[in-house]
Amino acid sequence: MSGNGSGAPFDAFFLPAAGGERFCIFHPASGAPLGSILYVHPFAEEMNKARRMAALQARAFCARGYNVLQIDLFGCGDSSGDFGDARWNAWNEDVALAAGWLARHTEGPVHLWGLRLGALLALDHLRQAGRSFAGLLLWQPVISGAQFMTQYLRLRLASDMLSGAEASRRTEQLRAQLVAGQSLEIAGYELSSELALAIERLSLAALAPRDVPAQWFEINAEGKSSPALRRAAQACIAAGAEVELHAVRGEPFWSSVELCECPVLIAATSDTLALTHA
Amino acid sequence: MIDQVRTIVDSALQLRGRLGASDGATPLLGAIPELDSMAVVSLITALEEHFGFTVADDEIEAATFATLGSLTDFVQHKLDA
Repeated sequence: MSGNGSGAPFDAFFLPAAGGERFCIFHPASGAPLGSILYVHPFAEEMNKARRMAALQARAFCARGYNVLQIDLFGCGDSSGDFGDARWNAWNEDVALAAGWLARHTEGPVHLWGLRLGALLALDHLRQAGRSFAGLLLWQPVISGAQFMTQYLRLRLASDMLSGAEASRRTEQLRAQLVAGQSLEIAGYELSSELALAIERLSLAALAPRDVPAQWFEINAEGKSSPALRRAAQACIAAGAEVELHAVRGEPFWSSVELCECPVLIAATSDTLALTHA
Repeated sequence: MIDQVRTIVDSALQLRGRLGASDGATPLLGAIPELDSMAVVSLITALEEHFGFTVADDEIEAATFATLGSLTDFVQHKLDA
């Protein structure tokens, strides 16, 4: 399968992997490639909501001379496996699998590009990987895995509130179930205890590498970086990491009610990448 | 403060300015069809990320989200805490 109806070619294929296959899309650079970019998608429904923006950015990167590889992690999208069986380490291996494919099939520097929880997965991979990466492009990175999990568990509380039902559970009670080894059904996804607890332990500041320059992009209504992300960036810089913070005006396309685009983010990301290579 | 909260509500729920020059009495919960569970969580997240505070589970209650004014009071209360 190739082509997307808009003229830019791409190849969709399955990579053999543990427990089946991973669905991948490779967008080749137009012209001689300057390098490659590996996309790490966000968590659960955010992946679907962000699909269009990821495709648009991938095309923009191609137009600037970069190959882009997208991989659906185990239990996500069109890859094998059930979401409820997904584990953080297995996802880490999937990122390694995709990076290995890029190393075999392309030349030049490789950048990691991650959205939300995908940003933390990209960082965690980088920490463990034997190979080197030229740079990191992080879109709205999750700052704290524990806070992210709380927000995810809240989907249950919010639907209780809206239905007028007495909130039957608190997030602490939901957490206790996870700690006890039970999985939870939330917003249509089965969340395993193992995956939830692994995510809880993650922190952006703790994962930020010292030797790979990172560009963090934040998207919000005001187009200004938030105090929370600024604090995380300052902590990383104080620890010796090279972090540049960018903020653009836009809607949270990874969680928005209606599908939306943020062209300013695509332009800012593409321009930043071009500058870091200049 | 109410202007900041209005901007965040507008962005999180993609109202595209539908709140207009709304004041504190403008109803939210039950008046805005976009306010479903994912939208409520997005809104809470946007407030947390913008202001840097953490919302407790028992604060996710209908009274907080009743009007633009009640939500603004809640934000002010969190910032003063």
